Amino acid sequence: MSDQDTALHRVTLTVNGTSRTLDIEPRTLLVHALRNELSLTGTKIGCDTSQCGACTVLIDGRSFKSCTVLAVQADGTSVTTIEGVGSGRELAAVQEAFKQHHGLQCGYCTPGMVLATVELLNQNANPDEAAIRHGLAGNVCRCTGYSGIVDSVKAAAAAGVGK
Amino acid sequence: MSIVGTDRPRIDADDKLRGATRYLGDLKPHGLLHGRLVLAMDAHATINRVIKDAALAIPGVVAVLTAEDLPTAMEGPMRQFEPLARGEIVFQGQPVALVLAETEAAAEDGVEAVIVETTSHAAVLDLEAAIKPDSPLARIRQIGGEMEGSAAMHVEAAGEGEGAPAPAAAAAEPVSANAKGPHRQQHGDATAALAGSEAVVKGTFRTSWVHQTYMEPQGALAIPEVDGSVTIHSSTQGAFYVRGMVAKLYGVDVSTVRVVGAPLGGAFGGKFNLIDPLVMGAALAVGRPVKLQLTRSEDFASGMPASACILELELGGTKATGLTAFRSRILLDQGAYGDWAMDGAVPVMIGGPYRWSAWDSLSYGVTTNRFGTGAYRGPGGPQVVFALEQLVDELANKLGVDPLELRLKSAAVEGDTGVDGDPWAPVAGREVIERTMQHPLYKKRGSLPANEGIGVAAGVWMGARFPSAATCRVDQDGGITVVTGAVDMSGTNTSFAAIAADTFGVPIESVRISYADTATAPHAPPSGGSGVTYSVGQSIRLAVEDAKEQLLDFASDQMDVAASDLEVVDGMVRPVGSPDRGKSVAHFAEQVTGFVATAPPIEGRGRFAPGNPSPSVACHVAHVRIDPATGEVETLDYAVIQDVGKALNPGLVRGQLQGGAVQSIGWALYEELQHDEYGQLLTGSFMQYAVPRADRVPNVDVDYIEVPSAIGPFGAKGIAEAAVMAGTGAMANAVAAAVGSRIRELPMTSPRVWRAANSR
Amino acid sequence: MIPAQFAYRRATSVADAVAALADPDAKVIAGGHSLVPMMKLRLARPGTLIDIGGLPLRGIADGAEIVVGSLTSHADLAQAAAFAAAGLQAVAECAAAVGDVQVRNAGTIGGSVAHGDPASDAPAGLIAADARIRVAGAAGEREIAVDAFFQGPFWTALGEQELVSAIVFPKPAAGSASAYESIEDPASGYPLVGAAALVTVAGGRVTAVRIGVTGVSGTPFRATNAEAATLAGAPVADAARLDITGQDVFGDTRFDEEYRRHIAAVVIGRAVERAIARAQGGSQ
Ligand SMILES: Cc1cc2nc3c(=O)[nH]c(=O)nc-3n(C[C@H](O)[C@H](O)[C@H](O)COP(=O)(O)OP(=O)(O)OC[C@H]3O[C@@H](n4cnc5c(N)ncnc54)[C@H](O)[C@@H]3O)c2cc1C
Ligand code: FES
Ligand code: FES
Repeated sequence: MSDQDTALHRVTLTVNGTSRTLDIEPRTLLVHALRNELSLTGTKIGCDTSQCGACTVLIDGRSFKSCTVLAVQADGTSVTTIEGVGSGRELAAVQEAFKQHHGLQCGYCTPGMVLATVELLNQNANPDEAAIRHGLAGNVCRCTGYSGIVDSVKAAAAAGVGK
Repeated sequence: MSIVGTDRPRIDADDKLRGATRYLGDLKPHGLLHGRLVLAMDAHATINRVIKDAALAIPGVVAVLTAEDLPTAMEGPMRQFEPLARGEIVFQGQPVALVLAETEAAAEDGVEAVIVETTSHAAVLDLEAAIKPDSPLARIRQIGGEMEGSAAMHVEAAGEGEGAPAPAAAAAEPVSANAKGPHRQQHGDATAALAGSEAVVKGTFRTSWVHQTYMEPQGALAIPEVDGSVTIHSSTQGAFYVRGMVAKLYGVDVSTVRVVGAPLGGAFGGKFNLIDPLVMGAALAVGRPVKLQLTRSEDFASGMPASACILELELGGTKATGLTAFRSRILLDQGAYGDWAMDGAVPVMIGGPYRWSAWDSLSYGVTTNRFGTGAYRGPGGPQVVFALEQLVDELANKLGVDPLELRLKSAAVEGDTGVDGDPWAPVAGREVIERTMQHPLYKKRGSLPANEGIGVAAGVWMGARFPSAATCRVDQDGGITVVTGAVDMSGTNTSFAAIAADTFGVPIESVRISYADTATAPHAPPSGGSGVTYSVGQSIRLAVEDAKEQLLDFASDQMDVAASDLEVVDGMVRPVGSPDRGKSVAHFAEQVTGFVATAPPIEGRGRFAPGNPSPSVACHVAHVRIDPATGEVETLDYAVIQDVGKALNPGLVRGQLQGGAVQSIGWALYEELQHDEYGQLLTGSFMQYAVPRADRVPNVDVDYIEVPSAIGPFGAKGIAEAAVMAGTGAMANAVAAAVGSRIRELPMTSPRVWRAANSR
Repeated sequence: MIPAQFAYRRATSVADAVAALADPDAKVIAGGHSLVPMMKLRLARPGTLIDIGGLPLRGIADGAEIVVGSLTSHADLAQAAAFAAAGLQAVAECAAAVGDVQVRNAGTIGGSVAHGDPASDAPAGLIAADARIRVAGAAGEREIAVDAFFQGPFWTALGEQELVSAIVFPKPAAGSASAYESIEDPASGYPLVGAAALVTVAGGRVTAVRIGVTGVSGTPFRATNAEAATLAGAPVADAARLDITGQDVFGDTRFDEEYRRHIAAVVIGRAVERAIARAQGGSQ
């Protein structure tokens, strides 16, 4: 390996609709690029084995665990983080559903859970309870016992998220 | 007006949903150094040498600190007084060195390059063997000093009164220095009472080490200030607690330490001063801000989980009067550090929510080469409930009575003598059990297909009763700011806002909660033991009442109406019943806070010491189906019936009870921190340690009842821990009903269920 | 957890990637969902990563055979209707059983096959379907029969300087159907055992069967005793025990060897039953 290649790489991402260019080490994980380089700290880190889903973001509209994607791999893609779900201080319908139906407690799993919900409803606008639980199996929540989250997803579906 | 009692969103929901909440890991002060730990590979060893050179040569690595580099001023037998191993490694995963670097990546590179040279010793892991007089010791160098301020808190919350000294007879069993105890509770003649019972059942039960698994790993950040003081931002349950403990460890005045509690990404009892001593010491050593947030693997390896137990229990009962007597011996693995060990409390907790005529209950805490013991939601509860509630079911079966009928007959009521010797506080065990008998899920249990079972169990959490204080300020805009030193662990700020809004008479949007900053907040206890709403909630109510009185006095002069004839409704001060003559709170606030204020600002104070507990009783009902061919257990349905005193916010109450139920399912079926015979952790990541995911658990039905407390605000009781006091028992009874035989070891994994179903 | 330093570049073509693999310290990265976790734990530390993610190897071509580009994600496989139509339901079901939504969006079939993780789902389906692994090397392309492909834990017939370019699934005879059954580790979600069965039913009788088993041992394998029992109309789970007997079965303190042997036989039996039911016109 030459110093040339391990040196900083230029990566251009469209993050929440804005084009951002970063010069980073190739080993930088997407989640670290978002949090440390772009100060988008809404995306969380809850594990180191790709299991918890706290780091979930959308890449070109599909959900990914940003702790398991190198930022260089995402070069040229469009990334949506929790900061890009609503607009400014306005909550999007999916967030409003979580708010009204107690889909969160400590909030640490919440950004990932919301983005996993966006993916779920994009793929299936009217999931039943089993489909909701299956679709969110990549996201661990330790606080809610999931009942509030399932209620929130149902409410979001009823509000037309994903249609 | 009533905000209290209505289902409303959390006040922090918007920020959390927008990703705007700043957790500990999101803070990044100038000059920040990132810490990463070098963890012990041996379970028990002497450290000969720590070789730092290679690590220090890595670009970006600033320092490699070992115990000698931390300016500690004292030693003590608690984990928090030994942030890095001092010469002796007592568990695998114990922090040995702390690498500080300019970036997280460089810190990790540094950790890889540190070499720790050790001489290994026998690892002490087996509880029965460890207490034998000839056992090797888990700690070669015994550290003197007292446990303080930690275990005592939960021990008290769990129900032990004045520490009951062990009667001389109890010391009969010769034990090694690994054993702490016996702790013994005795009343009447248990042997005679058991002999005189119509039926007696007994068993030995084993439970596993279980991790709190808050989704945000532990972390803290220490910033040295120019005046020599240190500000610690911490993902902690107790800002004042941390301040006191780190000041003591480093021999500095508490006034030189400011602790600011960061929003918690879950804690469940596990976040008490584990990281703070490390970052404080490191910041003092290098004079720069230091942040350490554990990775998940580090948190599994070096956290403070809930400890495993071996419980021997024997119960007796009669058909007519219910439970009679019990005898128990509990070995509680407290690991290498007993910071939060419940050995003193489990002999009381094992009595459950019941009245007994005689008992002989003892326990030992056992020091081993595993992690230190932390607190985890209802500490001790899931373990004792697994044993007690299975045997209560077996006894009911033997006596030929309905399991809830037996529990109903035996439920303790106010004034009955508790196992700690104190009379029971008012307790609604009977009401909860009666309500459970009516629950559709319980009624279904007679008519189930093969391989399905419904189980029930009951439990109680006494609740902490720490004194607290709070203030309430009326702001210039007519809003109010409540200041508390308590950390919001379970949505308490939302309940506080409701209490304040209703008490003052302003909309909830006009209430701000400022919290957990030791520089400015009135003193508050750590958030734990289900005592925050109970105590701080009442302090806040008193502070707000005080502020309101001050406002009405002032308004009375201004409006020329007697203060007693004024009310505050929806932010308006008005003569009682005359909405059109109201003037806004802001109107008066402006006069006491504006530049040309004419009267002193309004500042209410509230102080409260609950005195007595208000125990919360819960019944859980679980419905499972097993696959006898594979032993897999599917939890089909689940219900929680609990006395909450008063649901300040029904949505939040439901969420707490649902979360507790699912954590109970985790305890029951999946979770176990396993070590091999050398003390190596086998299940140290989510690859091996299974927490329940959405697709493994059912919806949890919550049916709470409200038997008001005479002490808590608006009648509320502490609820979050009672929510795990029955689950392992209900699941075990459900599995037993489905399998046809009993499993006496947690977790009830598929191989264990398969073997039980096929009696292998 | 952050990987050790490495050099990185994007491959511009299959030939370019193959050429880059001449460096013994280089590794290709596809979805990265096996490699990056290992790099984070520093269990893998390649000197150079060759990113093949941008190569045109994604997609499912449904013709005389079904040809799946190696970069096709598990999610796309799981949703492809071509498999059920051909009686290859098991292939899609293996993909659907992988991890969770996010993992299925990222992970690729080529990466999964090349990685040779004995705990992965895909091999069961590939074996049942008698798939061929198409690989590209310095000397051009060749195809490897699945029965000769998996050779041990993280060890396959793939040459050091070869790339998986596609998986080829021949279409089974009319009257065929298949099914995948697994029992997952409740922690990792990986299969403790997974079995895929493909059967052909003619005149009410099973005339052909292939059974692939994964998860239980170091190498995914064909359950030939269970296949024979199926053809003979004998109890499959009993026969499957013989298949397991010859295997070096994984066991640990959570899921011991005896238990895993047992559930492997159960799962094989269930896969066969469901495949037969499907072939006979049930739509399970
Ligand atoms: C949380 C989690 C859960 C998972 N659960 C499961 C599960 O339940 N079942 C399961 O089967 N899998 C599971 N996986 C693994 C997943 O299926 C991976 O996606 C897959 O194993 C590898 O595909 P990849 O594209 O990510 O490969 P990569 O990680 O990119 O590569 C893996 C290896 O294969 C090599 N490689 C990749 N592509 C090629 C190619 N075309 N030619 C030659 N070599 C190549 C790489 O050099 C590397 O050595 C899980 C992964 C994660 C992170
Ligand atoms: S941080 Fe846990 S999956 Fe990414
Ligand atoms: S809300 Fe705390 S982990 Fe989900």
